[in-house]
Amino acid sequence: MEPLLSIRRLTKRFGGLVAVRDVSWDVYPGEVVALLGDNGAGKSTLIKCISGVHNADEGELFFEGKPAQFARPIDARNHGIETIYQDLALANNLDVSANIFLGREVKLSYLGGLIRMLDEVHMLREARDALRSLEIHFPNLTRPIESLSGGQRQAVAIARAVYWDAKLVIMDEPTNNLGVPEQQKVLELIRRLRDSGVPVILITHTLPDVFAVADRLMVMHRGRKVTEKKISETSTPELVQYMVGALDDTR
Amino acid sequence: MERREFLSLLAATAAAGSAGASALPTAAYAAAEAKKIKIGFLPGVVDPFYQVMQLGVEAAARQLGIEVVTQIPQTWGVEVQTPILDSMVARGDLNYIITAPTDKDQMIGPLKNAADAGIRIITVDTFLGDGDYAAGPVSFPISYIGSDNVEGGRISARGLAKAIGGKGLVYINSTNPNVSSVEGREIGFKEAMQKEFPDIKVLGPDYNLDDMNKAQQQTAAVLERERNLAGVFGTNVFSAQGAGTAVVNAGLGGHVQVVAYDATKAAIELMNNGVVTLVLAQKPFDMGYLGVQFAQADAAGVTSLPRRVQTGFAIIDKQNVKDPAIARFIYQTPG
Amino acid sequence: MADTGPKAGPGMAGTAEIIGRTQRLVFFLSRMWAWAFLALMIVFFVVTVPIASNGSVHFLTIRNSQNILVAITPVLLLGLGQTFVIIGKGIDLSVGWVMSLASVLSALAARAVFDAGMPLFVSVAAALLAALAGSALVGLLNGVIIAKLKVPAFIVTLGSSFIVRGIALLMSENTTVIGLPPGIRDYGNDALFYYIRGEESGLYFFRRPEVSGELLRRMDAILPYPVVFTAIIVALAAFVLRKTQFGRHTYAIGGSLDAALRTGIPVDRLIISLYVLSASTAGIAGFLSTLRFAAGSAVIGDPLLLSSIAAVIIGGVSLFGGAGTVIGTVIGALIIAVLTTGLVMLNVAAFWQFIVIGTVVIIAVLIDQSRDLLVGRDRPGSGS
Repeated sequence: MEPLLSIRRLTKRFGGLVAVRDVSWDVYPGEVVALLGDNGAGKSTLIKCISGVHNADEGELFFEGKPAQFARPIDARNHGIETIYQDLALANNLDVSANIFLGREVKLSYLGGLIRMLDEVHMLREARDALRSLEIHFPNLTRPIESLSGGQRQAVAIARAVYWDAKLVIMDEPTNNLGVPEQQKVLELIRRLRDSGVPVILITHTLPDVFAVADRLMVMHRGRKVTEKKISETSTPELVQYMVGALDDTR
Repeated sequence: MERREFLSLLAATAAAGSAGASALPTAAYAAAEAKKIKIGFLPGVVDPFYQVMQLGVEAAARQLGIEVVTQIPQTWGVEVQTPILDSMVARGDLNYIITAPTDKDQMIGPLKNAADAGIRIITVDTFLGDGDYAAGPVSFPISYIGSDNVEGGRISARGLAKAIGGKGLVYINSTNPNVSSVEGREIGFKEAMQKEFPDIKVLGPDYNLDDMNKAQQQTAAVLERERNLAGVFGTNVFSAQGAGTAVVNAGLGGHVQVVAYDATKAAIELMNNGVVTLVLAQKPFDMGYLGVQFAQADAAGVTSLPRRVQTGFAIIDKQNVKDPAIARFIYQTPG
Repeated sequence: MADTGPKAGPGMAGTAEIIGRTQRLVFFLSRMWAWAFLALMIVFFVVTVPIASNGSVHFLTIRNSQNILVAITPVLLLGLGQTFVIIGKGIDLSVGWVMSLASVLSALAARAVFDAGMPLFVSVAAALLAALAGSALVGLLNGVIIAKLKVPAFIVTLGSSFIVRGIALLMSENTTVIGLPPGIRDYGNDALFYYIRGEESGLYFFRRPEVSGELLRRMDAILPYPVVFTAIIVALAAFVLRKTQFGRHTYAIGGSLDAALRTGIPVDRLIISLYVLSASTAGIAGFLSTLRFAAGSAVIGDPLLLSSIAAVIIGGVSLFGGAGTVIGTVIGALIIAVLTTGLVMLNVAAFWQFIVIGTVVIIAVLIDQSRDLLVGRDRPGSGS
């Protein structure tokens, strides 16, 4: 099978600090890959290089077999890479449908394009359908989302990623700050995405989540990839060793 | 006092002095006459009033062969005027400074420093302390040459009273409650009305904070409230412009008389267009001219210069604005 | 800036709902207070003005209401642009001086075009173009420096206000620009309708009827042109803010700049547009002022900056960005104008006006702060 996403020797520096050093990695369709590492290992920076927030200093990126360069976040989104950041990147003062359609609002055109206004009815209907298909229920879709619980907000972020027919979904620490029932819901969503053929890159600290839902994993330490394994081939204590740098398969 | 009166006073003093001292050596006077003086001119801010004053300064300087250094603050305020004053003092070559102090208390210190450095001070248009340099708390300036805002208020009152027939209701619209110039004008206006025109009742003042739109709004509200309003006094051109617009928009142009203080070209245009009725002109040219003359006289040894000169006013209305003798008081510079 | 909503632990889903409901109620009330206050004030003056004048004067007359509408036009126009900018988490301190510059530019243009032999209508059009061109240019500069060079809006607009002031004073040669074409005053003061009360009553349209004397005094001007012009712009602004992508993106930037960036919103372009917009509304305000007073003045806008921000705050625009409406700003401007007119009609001393308006502004800011405290929203950074 061809990998959906390939990165070769990716390096990213911030001034004198090397955040990601020489990382090569493949992600295949229909799998959940966990990206592990301690704080400062470079996980967030790596996925931000993939999602267009940062531009890598060295290395190459291939998507769907073709070389790709995502200069800005909108480029990555246009290729079908949806990212759910740790802070969710939601606008608190806007409602659910506004957030799902943020940046890609649907408009109605009058007078031959002279007047373009938001098609709020359409967007609201689509948002409701998207949330229903994810089996998430909201009492009122037209209120600002700042009054929603953590789990509901997470769901909106996921719905946004899913609605736009993502080809690859990246999630950064999706179960942080969630209650137990909501964590299970999120893991269920991840499984459903995988089952529909959409690969998920899952950054997480929570090792139980990794074993619950991931197929493969990659561990980073101090900007470098230190190992890549199938879930069945490893255990929690071993992973911890990799994460603190005690074990390193590349050396 | 009038310019002619002053010059004859000067001549008389000089004549009396020289007559009485004909037996004494005149070396002291001769030496004083030979001294060439340099004057610094520091008005309040850039505007037509002070531009005309500068014309007066330059006219006198030209005729007397005196060099004048002029610095004009971009905005009104002690924080802008003081540094300019300090730099003028620091030059070291000025003998006199003719200035319009922007605050009657806060400029005492900086000007006293200038005086202590050997520069003699003449104030024009505005004053320090209470303006009485002979008997008041501030006595180091040579003289205060300017219009008395209070007197100007009185004259405005009399002009307005005449225009409305000696009785009725009038209203004051002013700019700021703590600016001494407009405050003096209000006081004079009310005083004259109270003492001389008991059949006239004065309303206000309202403060528009230099906002013409607000002046219009306030005046419109008063016009709504008082159906018998006969006259309005705008303590500066801005106030008069806003108030006059309200009068015209209410359909009362010509029925309600508006007086504007200060004869800028804008005020005259307002009068020609029927928005205001009367314009009060000060005489900034006189202030500037006399200031230079006084400096020269002081340098020549004259010790009996009047400590206070009232330059007076002219009232301009549609009838006399064509008369060159009156039109020359409009604040305009040639070209 | 991180966007973390209220955190919910296990079993707190129900509590979140209850907190949500109370929050919503407080939200609703805090948004509505300005309306309530305005209504209260109008009722107050309608009742007290006749009492204070022994029945001879009434507050809500046609003429008074028109006076109030005319009085709010400059503050409202400045406030409209400011509304957009503040929702986008910025601020524009240069609008007062931009209005002044526009007033000077439109006066100079009207005079020059008319003296060159063009008809009055053309010179008025030239005046509007000059005002818009000059102000939009300033807005463009402001926006580019704020968006591209990332200098805080407070500093940029403060600095540009000094430059604009210098240019305005220079171009007007430090005096009022006069000598405008005769008849230009009518553009600024005539109205859509005229109604003559009492005998020989009648309704006239578009042109001030040629009457004089007693009839002139019984004539009311209804909907003066500046008011109509401003109303159109208010409607446009409300539509753009509420119903277009531009408006929604403005809210998005104010709510979470991060979210806007990451979802691909062209943030820089949007920010520049916001400052061009606020400068342009200030430019229109300057143009209208020149028409009303038939003179261009370089100092006319200075006192209005603070009033415009006060109107915006009272109207419910949050200084933290992300919230506010055009109608709110209209209410805010109305409150200030109604207060001013009402207090004058009650013959109240001037300093009470300052005290009352200042108090209302502080109350508005307090409500704004407490509203955000309840929701746990972030405090503003340097604004963008």
